[in-house]
Amino acid sequence: MDITLREIRKNYGAVQALRGVDASLRPGRVYGLLGENGAGKSTLMRVLCGRTRPDGGDILINGASAGALNPARALAVGVGMLQQDPLDFPAMKVWENFSLGGRGGGRAKAAENLANLSGSFHFSFDPDMRLADLTVGERQQLSLLRLLDAGVRVLILDEPTTGISLEQKEALFAAMRRLSKDENRTVIFVTHNLEEAVDMCDDILVMSHGRVTGEFTPPYSKEELLTRMFGEDAARPVKSSPAAAGRRDGRETLALSGAVFEGEGFDLADIDLCVRPGEIIGLAGLEGNGQEPLLRGLAGRARMKAGRLLLDGIDLSGKPPERFRFSGSHLLPAARLERGLFPDMSVREHFQLAFPELKGAGGTAFMEASCRRFRLPVRLSEPAVNLSGGNQQRLQLALIPENVKLLLLEHPTRGLDLESCRQIWEHLEERCRQGAAILFSSADLEEILDHCHRVLVFFQRRLFADVNASGLSAGALGALMSGQKGEGL
Amino acid sequence: MSAPGFRMAAPVRLVAVAAFAVAATLIILLLAGAPPLDAVSVILDGGVGSRIRALQSLGVWTPLMLCSAGLLLTFAAGLWNIGIEGQVVMGAIAATCLLRFFGEGAGTFPLVLGLLAGMAGGALWAWLSGALRVYGRVHEIFSGLGLNFVAIGLTLWLILGPWRQPGAASLSGTEPLPDDFWLPMPGGFPLWQTVLAAAAVIAVRIILTKSRWGLVVKASGQNASAAALWGLRPGLRALQAMAACGALAGLAGALQVTGLYHRLLPSISSGYGYTALLAVMMAGFKLGPVIPICFFFAILNVGSIQLPLGLRLDSSLAGVIQGVLALSVFVVAGLELRLRRRKGGA
Repeated sequence: MDITLREIRKNYGAVQALRGVDASLRPGRVYGLLGENGAGKSTLMRVLCGRTRPDGGDILINGASAGALNPARALAVGVGMLQQDPLDFPAMKVWENFSLGGRGGGRAKAAENLANLSGSFHFSFDPDMRLADLTVGERQQLSLLRLLDAGVRVLILDEPTTGISLEQKEALFAAMRRLSKDENRTVIFVTHNLEEAVDMCDDILVMSHGRVTGEFTPPYSKEELLTRMFGEDAARPVKSSPAAAGRRDGRETLALSGAVFEGEGFDLADIDLCVRPGEIIGLAGLEGNGQEPLLRGLAGRARMKAGRLLLDGIDLSGKPPERFRFSGSHLLPAARLERGLFPDMSVREHFQLAFPELKGAGGTAFMEASCRRFRLPVRLSEPAVNLSGGNQQRLQLALIPENVKLLLLEHPTRGLDLESCRQIWEHLEERCRQGAAILFSSADLEEILDHCHRVLVFFQRRLFADVNASGLSAGALGALMSGQKGEGL
Repeated sequence: MSAPGFRMAAPVRLVAVAAFAVAATLIILLLAGAPPLDAVSVILDGGVGSRIRALQSLGVWTPLMLCSAGLLLTFAAGLWNIGIEGQVVMGAIAATCLLRFFGEGAGTFPLVLGLLAGMAGGALWAWLSGALRVYGRVHEIFSGLGLNFVAIGLTLWLILGPWRQPGAASLSGTEPLPDDFWLPMPGGFPLWQTVLAAAAVIAVRIILTKSRWGLVVKASGQNASAAALWGLRPGLRALQAMAACGALAGLAGALQVTGLYHRLLPSISSGYGYTALLAVMMAGFKLGPVIPICFFFAILNVGSIQLPLGLRLDSSLAGVIQGVLALSVFVVAGLELRLRRRKGGA
């Protein structure tokens, strides 16, 4: 069946996620959908499978408007989406999951359908196993079969190769080819991985800033694709001269060897890293590829399963978070109110907790001076929950102790206006001049290129590259984030 | 982020609660076949109508207040210490156990030890519940409820088994303690109980408003994830708050033994742990209002003893009224929330 997207628009508040997307998708082909973080890929696909209601535009199926879609209606007309993280019921059995999302039926019928379908794709399932005991790849295969059982003609796969094994990936690609070529279905492959897209797709759509900015057919030029993904000036190095890389003398602030940190549903393994005083290191990559376990692990908040961690020469491997804190490691979480602050406690109480020595009039004077310095409103009795997002971040900054050695920040400027970002970075760079090392994650490539000495690139849930930031272009960084290692780096 | 919208002024809320409580109580009294005004006057007369009765009410206020003070600490730590009932019982058992080692003529020193043993017993029981939460990921409501049953079972076993009265085992309790271990009550005035309860109130007030430990406990209760990040050791704080609460509950139990019954009884705690939970929730987890609410509940408890005599009603009516009052507070709080949401347009 033919699908035509016409002028699809979607706003989230002031953010225009989709600014009028036009595309047409024909059966029997594998389409690749490429784009950087926040380009609008996921939003567009959620609109197509009925999970997000667009603000404007129309979806035509075989030339007729499909009207307003919801997930059930989308499935009924034959559009199904395989989510990046499987949407299933881990506590239930394989056949129950298969039956719930598909055509239903009791155990015998579901098990028979499942056996037939999985045989034809060379998958294999024990219908009575609990889903929780399956690997992510197997759960994904089951979700795929369930969608096919439901009669899906248009199959959307959102970042399907993240977290699955190589064999599973090959089986998946074989299934995608078969579904498109032999069974004449439409397959849409949403990915960050340029290599895979080039290998698999009959058509590649590139999205940028809420629009489809290019449609390509083989033979593909990777340079052309990268330019379309990351903008015209992607090739231009952002920084002409590297900022002074801090004090290079003295011992390392951080030394990690063979570290394994526990993330949500996966382990970030084999991290070897050495950080010097005054260094600013950016963590780039698609969100959820290991940046969070690393930052949380360096604050003692993600379990360290193996390896050795030295902070300023002190072995902190497997130690509780308070030891990290007292040794000079300090994490500012992205979820400021949920993980970093105490919502109903006042600004004053936050200061008292962070600096136990603050007492009496002298303490109050210090707090007020600190508020002014960080451009916080001087209202010490205000609970943290009443502060704006920017002020919550400023409060977190104001509470960092003077002698911090390793400053860890998750998305330090997320959701903040330009002036706030500037102030925050001014302060952070000042900290570095005083000898602190900074590691921060960000979805904003500009932010990483503007402030870093070094960039750690995360790809497919591992540390993919550790590169010097001087002379690094957005395009080269984008290529690394898409799993390209190669010339010029 | 500031929540504008609807917020009742304090007097308005009070009037709303009172109106709701009176209406609900009236309905219940009428259903029970009691003339409402008579019932109220019987209860009030029974609770504060004479010096003796007023002192009895004060005697009930003290364990309620000790338990409530402790609960303020566990609520500050974000914990639902349902197990407080069992902690009172364990305090009574521990005190009795210690005092049984001393015979007649041992002086009053063992009495002090007995109170301390009661605190230790309650603290241990609470610590167990906390440890199950911190190390075993068992919610304290479940472990507390379980431990309550264990504590009550233990009392019964002790009374009917190892500590039974010579001659015949009886549910009327163990043999009375020697006079030396009876807490002095000059003129029927529960002097020591009152002093200890007042001291607990003052201590909890200082802890929660002035001390660093109190601040850290509150932070751990508000956001355990942030507290861990800040190096405040939220698990340890939970255990400490539980133990502190258990110690106060255990002291209440020990006072029941040494000050009131002078023996171990099957229902030694009189349900004061649960009543204190109700009182603290009704007070919105604030120390100030807890004090009068505990007094009020004490009067209800003591006064209702007169109901069967005066009006041929069962004294358990007091418990029903208590529950209805607490529910009234919750209903008004719920109404307020709904109104706020609607006006806030969220």
